[in-house]
Amino acid sequence: MSATGQPTSADFDRYRGMTGRTLVAGMPLERDTLRRFVQAIMDTDPLYVDAVHAAGTKFGEMVAPPLYPVHAFRPPIGGPDPLDVLRTDPDADGSAGNDGMYFGLTPIDSPFKRLLNGGNEIEFFRCLAVGEKCVANARYADVQLKQGKSGSLLLVVIETTFSTEQGERLLVNRQTLIWR
Amino acid sequence: MALRWNEIEVGARAGELDKGRMSSSHIMRWSAAVENWHRIHYDHRFATEHDKLPDILINGSWKQHVLVQLVKDALGPEGWPWKIKFRYRKMDVAGDSIRARAEVVAKQEIDGLGFVTLRVELTDQNGAVSTGGFAIGVLPVPGGPRVPYPFVPKPAFEAVQMPADE
Repeated sequence: MSATGQPTSADFDRYRGMTGRTLVAGMPLERDTLRRFVQAIMDTDPLYVDAVHAAGTKFGEMVAPPLYPVHAFRPPIGGPDPLDVLRTDPDADGSAGNDGMYFGLTPIDSPFKRLLNGGNEIEFFRCLAVGEKCVANARYADVQLKQGKSGSLLLVVIETTFSTEQGERLLVNRQTLIWR
Repeated sequence: MALRWNEIEVGARAGELDKGRMSSSHIMRWSAAVENWHRIHYDHRFATEHDKLPDILINGSWKQHVLVQLVKDALGPEGWPWKIKFRYRKMDVAGDSIRARAEVVAKQEIDGLGFVTLRVELTDQNGAVSTGGFAIGVLPVPGGPRVPYPFVPKPAFEAVQMPADE
């Protein structure tokens, strides 16, 4: 922090290039999880629900939509309940401070409260198949403090590589986050 | 109808999806499917009184899948949605109707594979773009090889440039 209490670039330098712990999904992709997912995005492609149809495609088996891996990580059994905070703080937003963007990274400690999603750049290699577990490795690709029209803002790019447990890449997601 | 390499024309419509009017139930179904318990997506009082939003929000995480589905469907079962980038330009809330559309902006053949660049957009019932960007898909070329799966890009493929943000 500066002498005036304002954040400075030096406050965030340590995050640039920082990698997170490897995150392994608690469960392999299950058919019923996939059913609920594709019903929610309203994609009726039989590839996702019909094993016989899927066997005749280039995939050879039922797979999830290409971008599914970003949602493959759920609270593990025995872990902390993300809704516990609502017992003591009725105004908590329910996100437990993490809307599925850190993927094993240490969250950035900053005075900014308002978060905007600045967009995504994604490269796809293959789909996660039913029965496979997803693995995520994230890093802070860029962290910059900038001056906007209405004050300081923190621009953060998180690059997350999603793979199978065997190390086959599924996709790489570069997500830009903006804190004001 | 999926794109066919020989019939692709720059400027032509490449695909369209109509997700219809998104009720609070549709939004809640998504939140439940991915276990996202952020209250701005299902708790009207919290969204409007606490966060001062106009209504509960349609998740950006849902909208990104619509764009990917748009590209995947446009390319068909023999194609591959290699890259996509998009930015969120405005909020969508319960009651908004969501449509997606894709338009061809470029095509290029490399090593016997066809690369098509698409402009992709989500619009609401007033035609306002809430999410927009570009995608690069890969298609087989008549007489050429199948699009490999898994898709492991060759260095030569990097010649296909993603357009700059608009």
